[in-house]
Amino acid sequence: MSVLVFSLIHMVRGDPVRLALGTRYSQETYDALRERSGLDLPLVQQYLTWAGRAVTGDLGVSFRSGDTVTSLIGERLPATLTLALAALVVALVIALPLGMLSALHPRSLIDRVATVVSQIGISVPDFWLSIMLILLFAGVLGWLPSGGYVPLTEDPLGWLQRLVLPAIAVGVVSGSVITRFVRSSMLEALGQDHVRTAQAKGVPTRQVLTWHVLRNALLPLVTVTGVQLAYLLSGVVVVEIVFSWPGLGQLAYQAVRDRDFPVLQGSVLLFALVFLVINLLVDLLYSRIDPRIARR
Amino acid sequence: MTQLPAPGATPAAPPPAEPLPTTTPARPRWRETLGLLARNPTAAVSATVLVLIVLVAVFDETLAPYGPNEQDPSLQLQPPSRDHPFGTDEFGRDVFSRVILGAGTSLRVGFLSVAFALVVGTLIGLVAGYYGRWVDDTLMRLMDVLFAFPAVLLAIAIVAIRGAGPANAILAIGIVYVPIFARVTRASVLGVREEVYVRASRSVGASDWRLITRHVLPNAAPPIIVQTSVSLAFAVLAEAALSFLGLGPRRPNPSWGLMLADGRGFIEQAWWYAVFPGLAIVVTVLCFNLLGDGLRDVLDPRQRTLMAGGGR
Amino acid sequence: MTAPLLEVEDLRVDLRTPRGTAHVVNGLSYTVGPGETVAVVGESGSGKSVSVLALLGLLPERTATVTGRALLQGEDLLTMAPERLRRVRGPGVGMVFQDPMTSLNPVLTVGRQLTEGLRAHGPVSKAAARARAVELLGEVGLPDPGRAVDRYPHELSGGMRQRVVIAMALANSPALLVADEATTALDVTVQAQIIDLVERLQAEQGTGVIWITHDLGVVAGIADRVLVMYGGRCVEDGTVDDVLERPVHPYTRGLLGALPDLATADDADLATIPGTPPAPTDLPAGCVFWPRCPVRGDARCETEQPPLAVVGAGGGELPHRAATWCAEGEAS
Repeated sequence: MSVLVFSLIHMVRGDPVRLALGTRYSQETYDALRERSGLDLPLVQQYLTWAGRAVTGDLGVSFRSGDTVTSLIGERLPATLTLALAALVVALVIALPLGMLSALHPRSLIDRVATVVSQIGISVPDFWLSIMLILLFAGVLGWLPSGGYVPLTEDPLGWLQRLVLPAIAVGVVSGSVITRFVRSSMLEALGQDHVRTAQAKGVPTRQVLTWHVLRNALLPLVTVTGVQLAYLLSGVVVVEIVFSWPGLGQLAYQAVRDRDFPVLQGSVLLFALVFLVINLLVDLLYSRIDPRIARR
Repeated sequence: MTQLPAPGATPAAPPPAEPLPTTTPARPRWRETLGLLARNPTAAVSATVLVLIVLVAVFDETLAPYGPNEQDPSLQLQPPSRDHPFGTDEFGRDVFSRVILGAGTSLRVGFLSVAFALVVGTLIGLVAGYYGRWVDDTLMRLMDVLFAFPAVLLAIAIVAIRGAGPANAILAIGIVYVPIFARVTRASVLGVREEVYVRASRSVGASDWRLITRHVLPNAAPPIIVQTSVSLAFAVLAEAALSFLGLGPRRPNPSWGLMLADGRGFIEQAWWYAVFPGLAIVVTVLCFNLLGDGLRDVLDPRQRTLMAGGGR
Repeated sequence: MTAPLLEVEDLRVDLRTPRGTAHVVNGLSYTVGPGETVAVVGESGSGKSVSVLALLGLLPERTATVTGRALLQGEDLLTMAPERLRRVRGPGVGMVFQDPMTSLNPVLTVGRQLTEGLRAHGPVSKAAARARAVELLGEVGLPDPGRAVDRYPHELSGGMRQRVVIAMALANSPALLVADEATTALDVTVQAQIIDLVERLQAEQGTGVIWITHDLGVVAGIADRVLVMYGGRCVEDGTVDDVLERPVHPYTRGLLGALPDLATADDADLATIPGTPPAPTDLPAGCVFWPRCPVRGDARCETEQPPLAVVGAGGGELPHRAATWCAEGEAS
């Protein structure tokens, strides 16, 4: 994984330092930056140095600002995680009821509407949805600010107002994918023989739905939601830019613009790391809620 | 203990004769497939719309009422009118014409990147599934690593490193979807590898290449076709995202993503500027997705294809 | 003779399928008295399972149409309000399903699934329900019930799971027990144990039993009466002796002919009836068995559905009836 991230920087067709400095620079500045970044060393040694430092949390220094990459990421990470979690909440709030209702009343009006809406939701670019949300809620209606960020501790209401639109923009897409999944997963669970067994025992319908349908449908859902949370992050990158949300996405985007490779390298590595951690957590959670795995 | 005839104990038909080694397995029947698709209204409509979009992209210069960079300074940011159905942008260019001319960019990048992913991914999947063992392990492990990155992010990173531009966008989006095709193909290959007719062919000394083209590929085709349609949807989306971030075609080339990026700045004054290119993206992507769903129902009832959201 | 426990009259079940309407049960009538055991036999697809699922409203509402009457202790199950029907499921009718692998919820413990049924029908404390669950598991012969109660289905063998399913059906001491291939998966010793348990329940509580099975050995051992189903109809019914010893319908005779002769028990001699049961979407116009019938002794066989009529010497309380045009010749 880290090899892949590292090799990214070396796929570049030029000298990162030269690209970073632009057209006007002195040989001294060039050499100094090159040496400071360790780019005058052989490739393998560069990788080992970088990987060795990365393990200890040292991801190098930004070409542009001179700050350490770790501190830059540290500043931005909370905002990104906040947005990702808020988006996940939005996604689940959409997907769970819609998917469940569709599954309980297949081919009904609500099912058809849910199918169409989720199909559209999957097809809408999140950045366009962001723009449309700004147009409607900030422009036409004037209810919410069009972007920006204030810390929760300073202005809780302002924080929430600025969180809502980006969270919806990111959440709708994932919500659409999850809706489809909830529906198929519920339908499958509903068709299981043990549901009929429970009904035959005279268990009230609501209890049957909770314990014998939902409980079982949730198992695969945990995996899908985890995967979606990870994919949500890539949606966050683009949406952060539209809403001027000061998260990792903006940092990475800025790094791309500035050709600030240590920062880009660091943020991509961090995204990959978050991705891995989420997958790990999903596996752990899954083994906790599925007795067939937990007891083995 | 005595038993009544158990289920299915009625005299069994004689086991079907093993096909002769030379017979090919049932191929997907194209005419029948098309017929089934035609009876699936959503799929039929989306296929028709897609054909229209492709036609528009091919004949864009004939169809567009204005040139891509034909400016009229007196008509800056004009709302939709008879002369300019989608309005005009900040240079007085016709948004309608630019949406038409942008179709080519989006589709070209979409098709070429999926073609790249299709060829490379299918080859990797074939080799991995067919030869198995360490080849399989190595290739699929590599695919897993690649698959572990969020798609758009990986594409952004690749383009960021290699430089902006359509060629790199194609490569970046292509690389992102390679693992999906590799997985789908590999699964299909594993499914047919041990089938009687493949073993039979092998026993009479058919070459690997012949086996792959005559037996394995036709069987792997349905899920690959479905995956192609779904991937096209996401490739068009990814292209738009890259263009939006300024990592695709350069200005003043007409591109949906770029138009959105520019229109975003005028959203308060000129809603049409950002709305219509976005709608073009939504319609195109939606059609590829719906067609993919329809194809899945017809070609792949056992749902071997990865979930629709797999690439996002 | 007391009033019947269950009285089924002209039960019909149609299922909507992609290939058209399937007439799965076509005018089935029978009664089950308290303490009585009725065995329902027939091949797969004869409508046995569907006919009992219909009684408890367990068929998919959107695709199934159920008509007729099914009086349980005088109350019609088919027109009952959903909440009332729910209360009947369990204490009124207990049901054992055939596939022990899928009839239990894999993510809940055995105890949870047992107590759920107990607590659905009245205020029972958790501890009391659990104690009763352990007791039930012991009754169906599960070794170490105190520990089994906390296990998940996948931790038990198929036979043990089947006994759990049976325990669940018995949990509320049902007035009527419906067992759909309940003991088919079990070995002979356990089977005998279960049958003993059911017979004890019948003696103690007057439980009526509908026993659906392929296994004629069990039928002979447990049943008071036998009902032979074919193509969604009852083609022959009567006492065990009448039906097994003096079968009239060519189908019943075919089934019994399919029994290996006990003297020369040899699988090679096991006769099966050629052909397959009719598709419920496309039933024959005349006698349902006509397409496979080796007799076809009457002109009406192909065109006219024979009624279920009393045959042989009997009349009386448990008449021997068969639906065939070819009865006279065979019975005499």
